[in-house]
Amino acid sequence: MSKGIYTRLRFSSLRLRLVVVFALVALTAAVAASGIAYWLNREAVLTRTQDSALNDFRQEMQNRTATLPLRPTQDDLRRTAEQMATNSAANYQVLLLGERDAGKPIVGASDPDDFTLADVPRSLQEAVDTKRPVTEADPYPYHLFWQRTERNGTPYLVGGTRIDGGGPAGYMFKSLAAEKADLNSLAWSLGIATALAVAGSVLLAQVAATTVLRPVHRLGEAARQLGEGKLDTRLQVSGADELADLSRTFNSAAESLQKKVADMSAREESSRRFVADMSHELRTPLTALTAVTEVLEDEQDSLDPMIAPAVALVVSETRRLNDLVENLMEVTRFDAGTARLVLDDVDIADQITACIDARAWLDAVDLDAERGIVAPLDPRRLDVILANLIGNALKHGGSPVRVSVRTDDDELVIAVRDHGPGIPEEVLPHVFDRFYKASASRPRSDGSGLGLSIAMENALIHGGSITASNSVGEDGKVDGAVFVLRLPLDATGITREVQTRSSQGEVEEA
Amino acid sequence: MGQNDDVPFLLLIEDDDAIRTALELSLSRQGHRVATAATGEDGLQLLREQRPDLVVLDVMLPGIDGFEVCRRIRRTDQLPIILLTARSDDIDVVVGLESGADDYVVKPVQGRVLDARIRAVLRRGEREATDSATYGSLVIDRSAMTVTKNGEDLQLTPTELRLLLELSRRPGQALSRQQLLRLVWEHDYLGDSRLVDACVQRLRAKVEDVPSSPTLIRTVRGVGYRLDVPA
Repeated sequence: MSKGIYTRLRFSSLRLRLVVVFALVALTAAVAASGIAYWLNREAVLTRTQDSALNDFRQEMQNRTATLPLRPTQDDLRRTAEQMATNSAANYQVLLLGERDAGKPIVGASDPDDFTLADVPRSLQEAVDTKRPVTEADPYPYHLFWQRTERNGTPYLVGGTRIDGGGPAGYMFKSLAAEKADLNSLAWSLGIATALAVAGSVLLAQVAATTVLRPVHRLGEAARQLGEGKLDTRLQVSGADELADLSRTFNSAAESLQKKVADMSAREESSRRFVADMSHELRTPLTALTAVTEVLEDEQDSLDPMIAPAVALVVSETRRLNDLVENLMEVTRFDAGTARLVLDDVDIADQITACIDARAWLDAVDLDAERGIVAPLDPRRLDVILANLIGNALKHGGSPVRVSVRTDDDELVIAVRDHGPGIPEEVLPHVFDRFYKASASRPRSDGSGLGLSIAMENALIHGGSITASNSVGEDGKVDGAVFVLRLPLDATGITREVQTRSSQGEVEEA
Repeated sequence: MGQNDDVPFLLLIEDDDAIRTALELSLSRQGHRVATAATGEDGLQLLREQRPDLVVLDVMLPGIDGFEVCRRIRRTDQLPIILLTARSDDIDVVVGLESGADDYVVKPVQGRVLDARIRAVLRRGEREATDSATYGSLVIDRSAMTVTKNGEDLQLTPTELRLLLELSRRPGQALSRQQLLRLVWEHDYLGDSRLVDACVQRLRAKVEDVPSSPTLIRTVRGVGYRLDVPA
């Protein structure tokens, strides 16, 4: 479940990246186009308005100021300004500046509430008042100047000029609010167009992402299934694009993997079968041999002294072959998973005593176990484990071997400890390996090389385990090997099937 | 039982020539009289003709297999049967015991071990006490070694009879499977508890009124079995 969410998140991040890139591209293109369009429009609109207003103003100035008296009164100026303002189609306010007497400026405004001299920037006034030297190329001492200002957030065009020959100076003041509104609505439409372009690109990106990501998702899902061991997972290949190529590659990889795994398990199965069949086949002649070795053994004393050792050898080696085949069969049973537990309630102390007694180890083994610990176990398998662990300890560590039994929560813990040289560090991880001999120089022991691995398998089938370690004495030196067997005190859960079968047809009493 | 009480007479049914010859040799040296058969059919034939004391039966036989031979013997005879099986822990043992075998040994088997098992099985038929006891409708006559239910003789194998005798010797007391293995089968500490379970089921089938809800031979969970005295 969480895995699904995780994959979706990962996929969506690729999706996110695609969307962001698409949106950025669309945004850049749209903003660039809109910006250029806006700028060109703005210039065109403003220049046209400005040119027509200023030309009109210039015309009016020439026409009206010509009719003014040489020394106009303030009233003259005001009236003229009003006429100019009302006459013009460009709809601006006018301010005329004259001089009644030297050093006594007078001002006439078309609308003194709207436009006063304070609204004219000083720099413009200075430019207008500056008299230029008359040359061939520039025959006029005074020019028309203009500037764009802003008052209370509204843009204005202010233009001014002076009539040649001591005429009044005139200023015009035109609101550009209408143009601004036009440009604003243009900006809005461009903005909306940009937004639409971005939204469209996001949708396109989604579609593109989906077409790419759906096969990728399918591929991911198939790879996951393959990893989980469904080796027959295949993808449907459609089209001839890169993703179809990828799917085809996946399919052929899966196919060769499936084939390889099938080959390997077939080979493993056949070698396992071979060992199982072989040990089974060996058993028939061994059964006959075993039955007659006792006959030979009984007659040993009456045999020719030259022949007696040969007979003894045949008898002992037949026994060894027997053990080897028995262990081999046990191992193949574990490998094939056909080993079964036969549970019975076992008194642990009794069983250990019986195990060491049966092998004449009573003098060599020091048992520390309280009586009365009873657990449902397979007595035969427990005996195999104990015999292997104790036998191993006696062989490599010598007597005395100490066996201690205790319970730990719901576990039975049996420790088998010897006082030998311990197990070399490099051997420790391999003590439970099959046919692993601690060193090549060690003389061939009478063990089959399967003992400890069979002990381990028997512990595992109980749901338990065996661990091997070295015990370290007070002087810091290794003073023996310790094998710890842990078995669940209640193995019934693992083997309910076996239990049910053995108690079939019985009515359990409460 | 048997025609000759001094030398036990065995029938060995085993298809492999080498094993059959070797076991015959070994058992003869242990003091048994041995008749052999290579197939189940021959074995059944010999059984009818020669009336052996005990049958040693291989499980894997050509033609009718060991289980079937076992079942056919049990239809008419209660003589002890010891199975020769290939494995100790697989389905063979369970099926064999359900077919009515008294004990089993795992191949390869030492002659002495097989001999010990044979003698233990044969001992079960020997009488040792002279009293009798009544449990409800069941009467166990220890001197005559017979069990009657509602006055009718029950056909029990020596093993079943011995199990019933051991249980009836301690009425009301639970005996563990391992105890019963020692008492009845004379097995060591590694006895297979499936022997007890299988034999208890066969015994119940014969002595209980309703074998699936036993009132006489009760299971004591975590311990074993107990013979109850009906109120």
